[in-house]
Amino acid sequence: MPTIEVPPKKAARVIDDDYGDDEDEEDEVEKESPLKNKTPHRATLPNGLVSSHTPRSPNTLGPSRLVKTSTGANGPEAAKSSEDVRKQHDEDKKIAAEKAKRSFQQMFYTFEHDRDAMLEQAKLDELDREVENEISGDASNPQRHGDPGDPSSAPTSAQKGSLGSADLGASSLTLKHLIARIDMKRHMVRASDNQLRTLISEVKRGRSKWASEDRVGQEELYEASEKVLMELKAMTDYAQPFLQRVSKREAPDYFNIIKTPMDIGNMIKKLKQFLYKSKKDFVDDLYLIWANALKYNTDERHPIRKKAQHMHKMCDKLVGLIPDIVVKDRAEVEAEERRLASLEAGSHVGDDSDEDDVPIKASRGRKAPKKGANKGGSGGNARKTPPTSNGSGAVSTEKDGTSTPGPPDGRPYLQTTASHLRNEFLRADSEAHDISSAGFSTPPPPGTATPLVNGASGHAQGSQADGADVVRSGQSTIIEDPDVEDADFKVWKQVTMKDRAQATSDRHKLFRGHNLNADEPALLRSKAGMRRWVRQQKLSSENESSLAADGAIGTDEPDQQAGTGDTLAEGIEQEEDSTLPDYYDSLSSIPELRSTWPSWVTDSEGFVVPQTEEWIRMFPRGHYVSNSNSHLSSKMEFNMRQMQDTRKVCAKIGIVKQMQIQAQTYQNQFQKYEPQPFEEADVGNVVVSEDGPLMAPWVNRAAFHRSVGKIFYHAGFEDFQPSALDAVTDIAGEYFRKLVEGYKNYCESPQLAEGRPRFTSEEQCLHALSEGGIALEGLELYVKDDVERLGTKLGVVHERMKAHLADLLRPALGDNAGADGVGAFNDGSDQFVGGDFAEDLDEDFFGFKELGLDQEFGLESLSVPLHLLQNRMHSAYQAQNNNGAVSSSGILFETPPQYDAITVENLPRQIGLVQDFFRNKLRANRDQSLVEDEELPQKQRFPKPRLPPTGKISSPRKRPLREQQQMAKKKRKLEEEKKEEANKIKPLKLQMPDRQSLEDELGGDPEKDGQVNGAMISPESITAN
Amino acid sequence: MSDNRAKYRTEIQQMMFVSGETADPAPETTSMIEGIVQQQVMVMLQRATILAARRGVRTISTDDLIFLIRHDKAKVSRLRTFLSWKDVRKSAKDSEDKGGGGDAQQLDEFDLASDPTLGTGPSVGTRNSKANKKAKIGLPWDVSSFYSEQVPERDDEEDEEEEEMNAATLQRLKQADERTKGMNAEEYLHFSECRQASFTFRKGKRFREWAGFGVVTDSKPNDDIVDILGFLTYEIVTLLTEEALKVKQAEDMLKRESGGDEEKKGKKRRREPGLFDPPEEARTPVGPKHIQEAFRRLQKPDIKARYMAHVPKGNWQRTLKLI
Repeated sequence: MPTIEVPPKKAARVIDDDYGDDEDEEDEVEKESPLKNKTPHRATLPNGLVSSHTPRSPNTLGPSRLVKTSTGANGPEAAKSSEDVRKQHDEDKKIAAEKAKRSFQQMFYTFEHDRDAMLEQAKLDELDREVENEISGDASNPQRHGDPGDPSSAPTSAQKGSLGSADLGASSLTLKHLIARIDMKRHMVRASDNQLRTLISEVKRGRSKWASEDRVGQEELYEASEKVLMELKAMTDYAQPFLQRVSKREAPDYFNIIKTPMDIGNMIKKLKQFLYKSKKDFVDDLYLIWANALKYNTDERHPIRKKAQHMHKMCDKLVGLIPDIVVKDRAEVEAEERRLASLEAGSHVGDDSDEDDVPIKASRGRKAPKKGANKGGSGGNARKTPPTSNGSGAVSTEKDGTSTPGPPDGRPYLQTTASHLRNEFLRADSEAHDISSAGFSTPPPPGTATPLVNGASGHAQGSQADGADVVRSGQSTIIEDPDVEDADFKVWKQVTMKDRAQATSDRHKLFRGHNLNADEPALLRSKAGMRRWVRQQKLSSENESSLAADGAIGTDEPDQQAGTGDTLAEGIEQEEDSTLPDYYDSLSSIPELRSTWPSWVTDSEGFVVPQTEEWIRMFPRGHYVSNSNSHLSSKMEFNMRQMQDTRKVCAKIGIVKQMQIQAQTYQNQFQKYEPQPFEEADVGNVVVSEDGPLMAPWVNRAAFHRSVGKIFYHAGFEDFQPSALDAVTDIAGEYFRKLVEGYKNYCESPQLAEGRPRFTSEEQCLHALSEGGIALEGLELYVKDDVERLGTKLGVVHERMKAHLADLLRPALGDNAGADGVGAFNDGSDQFVGGDFAEDLDEDFFGFKELGLDQEFGLESLSVPLHLLQNRMHSAYQAQNNNGAVSSSGILFETPPQYDAITVENLPRQIGLVQDFFRNKLRANRDQSLVEDEELPQKQRFPKPRLPPTGKISSPRKRPLREQQQMAKKKRKLEEEKKEEANKIKPLKLQMPDRQSLEDELGGDPEKDGQVNGAMISPESITAN
Repeated sequence: MSDNRAKYRTEIQQMMFVSGETADPAPETTSMIEGIVQQQVMVMLQRATILAARRGVRTISTDDLIFLIRHDKAKVSRLRTFLSWKDVRKSAKDSEDKGGGGDAQQLDEFDLASDPTLGTGPSVGTRNSKANKKAKIGLPWDVSSFYSEQVPERDDEEDEEEEEMNAATLQRLKQADERTKGMNAEEYLHFSECRQASFTFRKGKRFREWAGFGVVTDSKPNDDIVDILGFLTYEIVTLLTEEALKVKQAEDMLKRESGGDEEKKGKKRRREPGLFDPPEEARTPVGPKHIQEAFRRLQKPDIKARYMAHVPKGNWQRTLKLI
């Protein structure tokens, strides 16, 4: 029986004890009397009893008082003491639990010991199962459990296998006929006796399993004993060694020293086998355990010794709860009673026997309805009663008809069927009354006004102060306990052990085997749990207000009682009340809501206005990009850009060099170097729950990757293997972790006495860096050497590259050009051909600008693409190799005298052949001197005839249609590719051809153009500037 | 082993003399220095071999050696100067077969005579201006290696690093100058002779045996490597001597402050040089203990070595630091 259930039951008893209690008392008295005083001098007793059994009549008062007085000091006193002690103990426990519960609200307990609780509970359960198994194993034994110890019942047990003889406790009374029926058809029932027994006792729930028809006092004795045992067992901290038999393996010599071993498990077994006949038997066994333990473990400091002593102490306290009863066989008792009764008077034999029987039965039947009422509330009770009364009614009618068979179980009862019938009616009646009284808490009948009953029933209510006292004393004893554990904590452990074990094992199921067991049922919030939470909330607030009030506990209880009976469904669902505080069971509770949280606001159309955004805490921007105004990072970025630029130049140099060697180059031969600008991406919108770093390892790692990559690039690696990046990232991450760890240590070093920190923040930094192997000089050196100086070096190299490229493209401006620059031509370079030099002079060398070509074709440079000159370049390269040094000296030519312009005067000096020609010209020019073609304005110049590579002289004016079309196509293509196709012929002429001729020439050799344009790539086009 | 030790005693003595040790060092001292130098050279060769193997090459190159001392920027720059002058000499020898002009032993005189910062501009107009132009020794980890195209240097580029390293060289030259100032011709001759001391020059075979070529590294070293090693050994001895002199100086200072040697204790008058005092004792040469202390100081791990110090490596012996 779980200890948790104890409080409500007891409470219930306290409440509706109006009737039961006085019977209880009488019961006790009655029990006491036959057992203890078998001597005939108790003649008055039966008398009192008889008269007392006009139940529920107001005159009970007299006889009961009579009983009280007549029974003398012995019986009532003993009864009272045991009953008192038990009640008081229950009260104590209840109060302790209540107190503990309150304290749980004020104190936080952790899950720390839950595992132990779970394991201990599992052990206890296992023990129970073991005992159960052993007993059910015994069930095969035909002998009834109740019988063997009882010699007087031995003859009756001859009728084996009959349920009636089975000890079904008081249930046999109401279910008598059912049992008889079952017995008759026993051979058809497949169930074992034990099963039937449990079945029936389940049907007759509430009837104690210890109750026995045959054995007087067994129920009381055993119930109390069991409770004591359970209580002892529950003290897992101490009881653990005594739970099971000492095995030979544990202590080989144990059985040499201990001749009569005993343990709690064994006692439970014995209890269930009804082997205890009196309190003394039980208590002897109990003390035997501790005695054995002390005897075997002689070492003073042995832990078990200490535990045994503790258990002994607890035992002393608990033994008082057990009523001092010797179990007696009913037959014996009744024989005694009969004997006594016959001594009294012979006239009311029937009555006598009838009334003789009543109190006992009433006392036995007492518990069933009451418990039903308590447990299930009114609903449960209502559910339960009808079958009972019906059954009894049916039985009675049946009995009417079949009165002849007599007592089927062959018990030596003297009662007639009539008495039985009457009994049943009485019982039904009393039960009904019980229901009404219990369910609706009718005012106690006048019978309770007797001093005795008053004393007993008032005890429950009036003993609050006593209870509190006891609790206090109990606590004080706990505190005095040699163990160092906190008293509160101990109470916590004991009170909540079962619940914690339950909760823990529930949780444990989800994680069994270190896995997340997805198939296990989820832990859900239960109605009962929520209700409990609400109640606890209420309670705690209540308690806060009336903590000091005396009646707090008393008033709380009815509240709870009433609370549990709200609805039928609740009653059904109501589980055992958990003792755990609400914070412990986080499933069934509502977290506190902050007042600052957005409220429910609707707009004009009734939609909810979302207010969440302003409450969302976003991760601040810019944490994942380098600080833009940091000098170092801007410097580094500048260096990297510089490197990219230099690489661009470098690629161009490579192409030019390649073109000098190769006769022909193709566009796809060279990889264009198009560096991507460096971009640093910040994290997107992230909602965080608190300030501080973003705890996303992969993001941070990626960011770190990027930084490491940046440093790589800055160190000159254009690209790198991912594994290298990973490795360096890991090493750097590890290093930073260590660095920060050291920094943290310095930050958190204990303060000096004056309350100021041991290290200033500078010191913290420096110490941490020094631990990490970094000196400030090292950092400075890095910045100076590897960043700043690298920057200047890069600049130098960049300039060098650029100059080299320029040299490659126009070597003419070098040293060997000679004084007048004529030498520049000698090396066969193309700078004048390509018009490259003009760019530097900012001069429209070919007049492209004038023509508007640069705009038309989107040209950025007006020099001739080198690829168009490659043959020339090639030959130039060869020439350079052959006679590089020869022509480097500058020879100063004197400028030839200008030819005189042809005028009418000097015409005769020309040779005769051309005289006519010139004359015509002069005439056309109105006898003005002629102007050389070179000096003509550009528009008037004539194109110079050019010999195409085919060698055929074609007419400049002739232009076939096909070529025109091709031209148009080409033009489009040109525009697309932004090539400087139009320039290609320019180098041959030092004058600007007019547009017509240009187009002519373009059209002149379409085949070649097509090849060249399609396949080649000019270095200039690579120059994306 | 003893004969092994004795191999370079004169050279070491000369080097020490140049480095500022005026007195004659004891044979113990020189043999200790020799041992240190030998160890250093062997370790250098070993590491260089490992580096070369990492590149997939069996023979070590000059770059491998330079890489080992890359953190000592001043030394690297001195080495580069040395190498470039070596080139100059070589080409000079090639062009006009000057007898003895290309001797490596005259390196230092070269340094003294023609200040590298001043007279290295291309002598325009002369026939071998190109050949005499000091070619800069490129290192594989220079900035120019960042790029795919190697481009000849230009004259108008200034290199502050070079200036810096020249400052170090100049400092040393100045020191030597100070020392030689007061010398007469004979002394100076001695001094300049001493300056030419080398482990390697004209002792190629001896050096190879001594340094463990063929044992430490199986590659046949080229002249450049031997020259570099010669330069580095010279540097090591110089460094050790200078450090040892500092140690000794500190020790002498301490002795003087604490009352001098034991036998002179108690005689206060000794403080003042008396008229009839024996002439001041000649300076005692640095002893092995000074060299030892100097070596210890030079082996002191720099702060960077602390990183990863927590990682147990199994071998608790610190790796030898190249000096």
